[in-house]
Amino acid sequence: MLYREALNKALDEMMEQDKSVVILGEDVGFYGGNYKVTEGLYAKYGEKRVIDTPIAENSIVGTAIGMAIGGLRPVAEIMTVNFSLLAMDQIVNQLAKIRYMSGGKITLPVVVRMPQGVAKQLAAQHSQSLERLFASIPGLRVFVASDATTAYYGLKFAISIDDPVIFLEHELLYPEKMEIEEEKNFSPYRARIKKEGEGITIVSYLKMLHDTLKVLPTIEKELNTTCEVIDLCSINPLDVGTIANSVKKTKHLVVITEEPKTGSYANEIINKVLEEVFYDLDAPPLKIAGEDVPTPYNRKLELMSIPTPEKIATEIIKWGKKHGI
Amino acid sequence: MEYKIIMPQLTDTMETGKIVRWLKKEGDFVEENEPVVEVETDKAVMEVPSFKSGILTKILVEEGEEVPVGTEIAILETEPEKAKVEKKEEKPKKEQKEISKTKEKEEKKEEIKVQIEEVEKIELPEGTASPAAKKLAKELGIDIKKYQEKGLLPTPAHEKDIKEVYYSNFFDKKALELAKKYNIPLEEIVKQIKKERITEKDVKQYILENNIPEIIPVSDIQKRVIENLQKSLSIPTFHIYEEIKTGNIPDVEGITLTTWLIKVLGDTMQNHYRTRAKLDGDVYKVYPNSNICVAVAVGEELFIPVIKKVNQKNLKQIADELKELKEKAAKHKLSPEDLSGSTFSISNLGMFNILSFDAIIPPGRVGIMAVGVEVRGKTKITFSFDHRIINGREAAIFVDDFKKRFTDKKYLKKLAEEVS
Repeated sequence: MLYREALNKALDEMMEQDKSVVILGEDVGFYGGNYKVTEGLYAKYGEKRVIDTPIAENSIVGTAIGMAIGGLRPVAEIMTVNFSLLAMDQIVNQLAKIRYMSGGKITLPVVVRMPQGVAKQLAAQHSQSLERLFASIPGLRVFVASDATTAYYGLKFAISIDDPVIFLEHELLYPEKMEIEEEKNFSPYRARIKKEGEGITIVSYLKMLHDTLKVLPTIEKELNTTCEVIDLCSINPLDVGTIANSVKKTKHLVVITEEPKTGSYANEIINKVLEEVFYDLDAPPLKIAGEDVPTPYNRKLELMSIPTPEKIATEIIKWGKKHGI
Repeated sequence: MEYKIIMPQLTDTMETGKIVRWLKKEGDFVEENEPVVEVETDKAVMEVPSFKSGILTKILVEEGEEVPVGTEIAILETEPEKAKVEKKEEKPKKEQKEISKTKEKEEKKEEIKVQIEEVEKIELPEGTASPAAKKLAKELGIDIKKYQEKGLLPTPAHEKDIKEVYYSNFFDKKALELAKKYNIPLEEIVKQIKKERITEKDVKQYILENNIPEIIPVSDIQKRVIENLQKSLSIPTFHIYEEIKTGNIPDVEGITLTTWLIKVLGDTMQNHYRTRAKLDGDVYKVYPNSNICVAVAVGEELFIPVIKKVNQKNLKQIADELKELKEKAAKHKLSPEDLSGSTFSISNLGMFNILSFDAIIPPGRVGIMAVGVEVRGKTKITFSFDHRIINGREAAIFVDDFKKRFTDKKYLKKLAEEVS
């Protein structure tokens, strides 16, 4: 199965179960979605439940909000996170606030799905990661889907809750082959321990998680230790407990995100975890993130601007050796 | 008619495309303009339609593979009645391929090598330690600053340093050295042995009980030997087993059996050009001289230095050269020149009372002879040959020639007289 098919399966099952679930977005219907996530749903559920919209992101989110107020459970697709900037007024001022400002009388079961991240040479305007923006807005839940399992269970969970959810995917993960691991009692509010270890806690999500797992053997060999890798399914709220417990054991924390360093969500993770575990730390936490530049178009420069498997390994090993691992 | 589907250029910048998934199987009918395959370009995943209708007879590029634009990826037969689809018994093969592919991927995973230049050093005043180290030091009653002033703890100190300092107090000097040699965390020994004073004997006991291996690094020389041996594996080898009458060899002071064998082998090689040949692409390079390499063991290390122009040298010269090369090997002073240029090899384990054995041909040589111990005037010798350079018939004639020389008393006498 492909990552995008896990998302498709989640959408299909939720639409099958609940007639109030509808999809809207650019080319989600007849064309099957720019990344083929909604493939086949138009044929199965028809144009009233899989709605092709004009290229107008603010209206897509606005319409979804209206639908939710009227009793539907819309799943809006924004083609990429880069275009969500056009919908920020609806997202920040309406989506995040209506439930609160109505004293809880109006619920907003809206999911806004969008992919983000550096793909291949899509240049600065089409290569952004913006989780920090969404995570900093009270009233929104922000989920990230790192693999088929979190994509499938996470999206179903997002559609089923009454809060608005920003659901982030990664452009390069769509065609990746992976399987859904069966999970009973899945909750995105619990971070997943992808691999257990004793010496270093590594926190990541989306593509960076996969890049980290790729070089884990090198890191473990060079530093003669084992790493515990934690995948986040939700970044707001953040499961600080799972990370803190792990760091209490390993005494070392590394956080990896693709976003540019300054203001990256990694900062928030480190800060929250540090409040819990400062006296247990054996080294300053390490943050690995993108460079503070608009993503270059040139492939070599593009790769220099974000963490790659080699960079992740090099930085962790250097840091480990410097701080006595 | 056959119609070939090629990897199309789907974007301006696309140079290669990766097959994400075939939407049709071999044998399926494809309509004109119907998508047959999903391709990942530099920008997105797109479906590629067929421009003709027909039966998909052959998929040329598997899922997951990346090929340049313009590469043929599948064949379509536009006249369905002519279509011949190979029976689908290949399925398991495909799976196997996939397995090997994922294996390759896994191997690649570990292949990522990182280059760490100098690691930055932190300079901070004594008394500095990580929060975890401070916490542990407090628990164990260690004054970090004092230890750092005495040079017993690094600055800044980390948790493992505190543990080491604390637990090494339990060990006497030799016990500590042994534990470090075996890379055993001191904490674990202390926890298991539970004694105020841990001696070397205790650590030895711990090593025995827990079956802890001693770590011996592979030396650079051994690494090269391993590399070469692995190359030797690709040589198609056959063996000839013979017994040589070494009892006829005259006694000459200072000339060992190995020296005799080198000399006689060198002379024999002169009559058999293939034993002086090297395979180089599609030519054989036949050298005029008999250059022979000899396996020399220095401690546990193996060298194969070369004695050149054996055919032009007498026994004494060969013996002297062999001695010199052995000395050089012992001092690790063999030059690349000393180690290259031979076409045949000798390995003698007779001195260890071995009756007979097989030897592995060092890469680049036609063959090797493996010499056992002399028993009642006879010595068993196993020849290994590279079949790419020499065939069985030629090898047999060569071995027979070599063998006969040891019954030719005149010849042996002549060799002996050259040096006395």
